[in-house]
Amino acid sequence: MTPLTLTAVDPRTAPAKPKRTALVPTLVLILGSLYCLIPVIWVVIAASKGRGELFSTFTFAPGTGFLDNFKELSSYRNGIYWQWMANSLFYAGGGALLSAAVSAAAGYALGRFAFKGREFVFKLMLAGVLVPSIVLTVPQYLLLSKMGLADSYWSMLLPSILSPYGVYLVRIYAAASVPNELLEAARMDGASEWRIFSRIAVPMMMPGLITVFLFQFVGIWNNFLLPYVMLADDNKFPITLGLYTLLNQGASQPALYTLVIMGCFLAILPLIALFLVIQRFWSLDLLSGSVKA
Amino acid sequence: MTSTPLKGSDLTAGPLADGTATSVRPRRLPRRGRSAPYWFLVPAVLLFAAFTVVPIGYAVWLSLHKVQVKGIGLGKGARQQVWNGIGNYTAVFEDSEFGHSVLRAFGYGLIVIPTMLGLALVFALMLDTPQARSAKFARLAIFLPYAVPGIIAALMWGFLYLPTVSPFYYLLREFNLPQPDLFDGGNLYLSFANIAVWGGTGFNMIVIYTALRAIPQEIYEAAKIDGASDLKIALRIKIPIVLPSLVLTFFFSVIATLQVFTEPMALKPLTNGLSSSWSPLMAIYDAAFLRSDIYGASATAVVLALATFALSFTLLRISDRYTREDRA
Amino acid sequence: MSIHRHQFSRRSILAGAAAVGLTGTLAACGGSDDSGKSSGPVKLTYWSWAPNMEKVAAIWNKKNPDITVTVSKQAAGKDIVSKLITAKKAGNAPDLIQVEYQSLPTLVSNDVLADISKYAKSAKSEFAEGLWAMVTLGTDAVYAIPQDSGPLMFFYREDLFKQHNLTVPATWDDFAKTARAAKKALPNAYLTTFSSNDPGLFAGLAQQAGAKWWTVQSGGKWTVGIDDAATKKVTDFWGGLVQEGVIDNQPMYTPAWNNALNKGTNIAWVSAVWAPGVLVSSAPDTKGKWRMAPLPQWSAGESVTGSWGGSSTGVSTDTKHAEAAAKFATWLNTDPEALAALVKEVAIYPAATKGQSGSVLTTPEFFPNQTDFYDTAAKIAATTAASAWGPNVQVAYDTFSDAFGTATKAKKAAQFDTALATMQSATFTDMKKQGFKVTEA
Repeated sequence: MTPLTLTAVDPRTAPAKPKRTALVPTLVLILGSLYCLIPVIWVVIAASKGRGELFSTFTFAPGTGFLDNFKELSSYRNGIYWQWMANSLFYAGGGALLSAAVSAAAGYALGRFAFKGREFVFKLMLAGVLVPSIVLTVPQYLLLSKMGLADSYWSMLLPSILSPYGVYLVRIYAAASVPNELLEAARMDGASEWRIFSRIAVPMMMPGLITVFLFQFVGIWNNFLLPYVMLADDNKFPITLGLYTLLNQGASQPALYTLVIMGCFLAILPLIALFLVIQRFWSLDLLSGSVKA
Repeated sequence: MTSTPLKGSDLTAGPLADGTATSVRPRRLPRRGRSAPYWFLVPAVLLFAAFTVVPIGYAVWLSLHKVQVKGIGLGKGARQQVWNGIGNYTAVFEDSEFGHSVLRAFGYGLIVIPTMLGLALVFALMLDTPQARSAKFARLAIFLPYAVPGIIAALMWGFLYLPTVSPFYYLLREFNLPQPDLFDGGNLYLSFANIAVWGGTGFNMIVIYTALRAIPQEIYEAAKIDGASDLKIALRIKIPIVLPSLVLTFFFSVIATLQVFTEPMALKPLTNGLSSSWSPLMAIYDAAFLRSDIYGASATAVVLALATFALSFTLLRISDRYTREDRA
Repeated sequence: MSIHRHQFSRRSILAGAAAVGLTGTLAACGGSDDSGKSSGPVKLTYWSWAPNMEKVAAIWNKKNPDITVTVSKQAAGKDIVSKLITAKKAGNAPDLIQVEYQSLPTLVSNDVLADISKYAKSAKSEFAEGLWAMVTLGTDAVYAIPQDSGPLMFFYREDLFKQHNLTVPATWDDFAKTARAAKKALPNAYLTTFSSNDPGLFAGLAQQAGAKWWTVQSGGKWTVGIDDAATKKVTDFWGGLVQEGVIDNQPMYTPAWNNALNKGTNIAWVSAVWAPGVLVSSAPDTKGKWRMAPLPQWSAGESVTGSWGGSSTGVSTDTKHAEAAAKFATWLNTDPEALAALVKEVAIYPAATKGQSGSVLTTPEFFPNQTDFYDTAAKIAATTAASAWGPNVQVAYDTFSDAFGTATKAKKAAQFDTALATMQSATFTDMKKQGFKVTEA
């Protein structure tokens, strides 16, 4: 097979294509979309059903209880659901921001400097991905507990900051989009390394950094195991854990299905909104680590 | 945009099939700036040490100890931490239930991984077909599950698996078809696998699709001139080219499926057919948090980690050999 | 510009990092610490999962400005035990803890609960003997104050029983007969279900039959007797009925089970005094159609019941204000105003004898047809058998769920027996592994 030289050029410069639709691909895609959307549609409809309607009416028939469910969820225990939502935003937003910053620095160092032990450090960090999360989470909990940090906001933030995948992404990005000539020129002008990093490299790596931010944001927002292990006081719960406990309250507590479903519905809105909004100036493709011109 | 052949030392193997270096590899810095990269690495290294290395070390240390009860076992000083050597480890290997949970995880993986990656590949190929309508909508729709937290997806699907609520059962009832119990024994694998496939296909699809988009048009033209059909192009050209992406997604999927935890945890309250150590991670969590045996749990976790490492290395070796042959 | 400005030694880099780490740790530790002053305002934290406990604590806080109690709501019962043990290891356990009765030995064994007998002697008279025994573990120490209890009773659909001429069982033999009659009258329904997801209920039923799963003699020898004659009797009874097909095998607390209660495919429920609160949301359409009766007995004329759940308030060994904490714990569970609030806001059935009667306990809204509900309940509660918990209850419970889960699914009475044997051996082996001096019954 001939060796391939791969470029980042968008290859869609072909001549005009025939106008007829390819049936099979279109059908497959529509079926796939349907499969992926059905639970979401179901949640939207189920969230509108009152307690009596939830298990007795036809699944896709909308109910009448949307506002009631919303009000009930909002007032449940003085609005703890919104506290959970705020917690999720804090953990995900704060954690992702810190993660992007740490990844930026580390990826920049790995991608634009040559120094002893570079590959070793990089490979070691990547190896961290291989460790099953629970192997880390339980001892992390024990260690944090020794420091008195268990069941605190720190216990959720600190373990989430370092993302080997983020460092990997930024390294690629730094190597591909920050020209050495520019760095050399700046150094020759006498700029400090920090200045070079913050004024020159970071702006050029920005799409990559946004990717890391988004990736970590989604990861932390969706995380269940970490808060499950770390947190005990349910004022600090993120949405994932909060909803799970709503459903598993113990034998002598009533079941809160309508609240859980309404909670699920509200929980998936923020991320969906985030991705829809961000489509305008960021491409999904960047998640895979590709570098676009 | 200039294009330069990839230099192996610059980038590790990965989905970046089309990344470019804009110039030659970085030069060594003059003496005054030597410490700069170390400074930039400090936060990452610190966090890595504190939250990866130390926990692993602590887990290993714990796994070599156990608790010993003295006297009646109540009150102050009743429990002591004592050295246990490899006692916990022999217990892990003698525990048939843990072995079963690993087998279950494998079985689960055997269902999830081919399905998820297969679907991701198919969808990516479909998206790459120029005349496919609804590509943009489908891309977002299929990616959407990525934005749904795993536990919430499991809870939603849990409801959808209930005979009283589910539209599928409704249809089955209407057509007088047998209604399988989705919480029963073997069907559990399918129930969990469905949730995982639903949640993971979109992201993998994007990774593969991006690699597809980087394939230069000239290759297709050459193939079309030779008279190749679309299907043949897909099979003979597209798939081999995106193989590195497939390998990477495969690799991460294996690691994820071995750690299956959320789906069984979410569905456990709905059924009596699910043991508390159905998956390896559940067994570890159960030991650590419900039975308060962090020593045994640590040993089990270390064994699981080593098994994952071994598996990953083997897979990496195989994939390296395979893709290297391809490039030769 | 000086070249050397950027030349930090590696040592200083490390020193800086260490300083950051230290500051972080100190800042974190500063939060919860209370400087053991015995005078001056005292702040206590109370880990509890009962809903609305803050409202009850607020009453205390208003009356006792020098002792402030802050409630920290935890996720439900069983996860909390491990978190407490870990917190204790780090010296961080909260001052007050809500502890389920079955977890008391585990926590005492891990030195989490302090002996408050010095401060709580007066409370003894407020509780029935059986309940008090659960917090003393048969010793002279007092490890917690009982808060609520869940005596078992029999709940049934009065309307359906009348409609199909079913007799309300007074003995378990009657129960079996009624189950068969119900099946005949309503082929698509069951009298009730046997749930393998609820070990607490099974424990209560065994308790009623006289089982003592863990016993300890002086000298510190434990005996594990989960498969004793009493529990075997209970196991065989239910296993037989499930195999016969007259008792359902689905787990409780699932949407399917809620539906069964609501639609009438489960027409009775062996449950505890707090059942009305659950039925409100599980089976909303059946309001007013249920009635409560005493639990069926093993011998005619007997009067004994078991309990399902129930918790107590304990003081941790990490507290710096044991006396204040014990004071609050006693107030919470014996003071009339507190008991009234517990009933009204937290919706529990108090363990204190005086809390089981009086005007606070009005007829449950879901049982408007049974105005003497709580009078009957108090009589039944007084007949609660003693329970016997051990230091590894969770292991027994886990094994129950797994082993009985398989047996229930298979609907084979023989498997019920093997499941019980598995429970016994797993519990015994676990205690042995931990180093207890233990024998099998």
